[in-house]
Amino acid sequence: LSSRPFVLLAVCLFVLTIALSLYVWQLRRSAAAVSPTLNTPRAVAPPGTGPAKPATLWVAYDNPGALRTTSVSLPLSSERQRRAAELLRALLNIYGAKDSPHRLPPTAEIHSVYFVDPGLVVIDVNSALADGQTSGVLAEELTVVSFVQTLTANQPDILRVKILVDGRARGTLAGHADLSGVYDVSQVSSLAKQLSSQ
Amino acid sequence: MRWNSSAYPQGRFVLGCSITILVASLLAFSQSSPNPTLSPAPSAPAPNPQPVLVVIDPAHGGSDPGALLTPESPEKEITLAVARRLRQELGARGITAQLVRDSDATLSLDQRAAIANSAYPLLYVAIHASSLGSGLRVFTAMIPAAGENRGPFLNWDAAQGPFLERSRAAQQQLVTAIQKTRFPVRVLMAPLRPLNNLKVPALAIEISPTTGNASQVAATGYQQMICAALANAIASMAPSSTVRAELQP
Repeated sequence: LSSRPFVLLAVCLFVLTIALSLYVWQLRRSAAAVSPTLNTPRAVAPPGTGPAKPATLWVAYDNPGALRTTSVSLPLSSERQRRAAELLRALLNIYGAKDSPHRLPPTAEIHSVYFVDPGLVVIDVNSALADGQTSGVLAEELTVVSFVQTLTANQPDILRVKILVDGRARGTLAGHADLSGVYDVSQVSSLAKQLSSQ
Repeated sequence: MRWNSSAYPQGRFVLGCSITILVASLLAFSQSSPNPTLSPAPSAPAPNPQPVLVVIDPAHGGSDPGALLTPESPEKEITLAVARRLRQELGARGITAQLVRDSDATLSLDQRAAIANSAYPLLYVAIHASSLGSGLRVFTAMIPAAGENRGPFLNWDAAQGPFLERSRAAQQQLVTAIQKTRFPVRVLMAPLRPLNNLKVPALAIEISPTTGNASQVAATGYQQMICAALANAIASMAPSSTVRAELQP
């Protein structure tokens, strides 16, 4: 007589365990159904939808290893982070073209640009850009300086720039240009003068 | 109240130990610290002047091939070949050269900087090679933002800071000497490690073809011509007492 409640309790616990197991299994199935969408490639950001505005691009030329400024008119967002990314994508459009003056792969992409006040900008590029970059001291510094100068020419409140690859810090761009530190805009500007004098 | 030493044997022991340690420390300090009265006068001429030492760093190596200039010529092999030739050319001009690596060894950038810093050379020269551009590029360091030295402590990322003026002087003299040979050469800064980690005058040299054909950089004759020009330029800097004074760390 005294063992009957224990048997009932054991049966209830057994049923509860089975029910919880089924529930967890169902949760894992639904999570697995959702996760592939997280791993799919990001859609390329749409071109700027704002009104066309004048902008200055610092374009790298492998021959003769120099930088030149180009005035363009681009549809640019009024939000500064999106605007910065749009400016860099305009550069990548030039570098990814067939007759590119400074070859970068067409798959090169700017993931995003973050502003961390005061004055720090973080550029997050994809690994296709870094891996497809021509390796060399001059070749890599042309890319870095053209990015930094293009941003500062259009948004003068930038003081320092950090470059990430796929959201992570990387030692060099393609074996030479140092990405471990933060670029001082005034020093990059001095280097840009040297590169423009060629 | 009188001090009763027999009542405090532990106290006597501690006192004795303390005096012994104090005397030993004073003796050790007096032997290790430089004594200005015993050291030779700084103005006295050294009987055998130190040979001029240049540290040459063939970039990349081992698991890091560097740029692939041609399918058969990774950058690491070209930089090592050029470094060995430059060492030979400098030796022929009475200048001692030490290679950071003399084999296909993998060295980190920090290891390269440590080797060069501990050698106290007159000049550090890193060798790179590229298919882009034409002729030679001579680079000095570009110190990263927020890299500043505080008091006697050098920020590792800005260790080159106090030596940057001397590096630029060396860069200018090297380029001026090479320009006399009418070989194309450019003066630039570069965000290139380990230049900013060096506490000696430091330059990086990137060799590129003049014909637009990357295989020229791997050619023995082209490397020999560049090394001879570089060795002449470095040698023209080394004998001058004023240059030595400027460059000496």
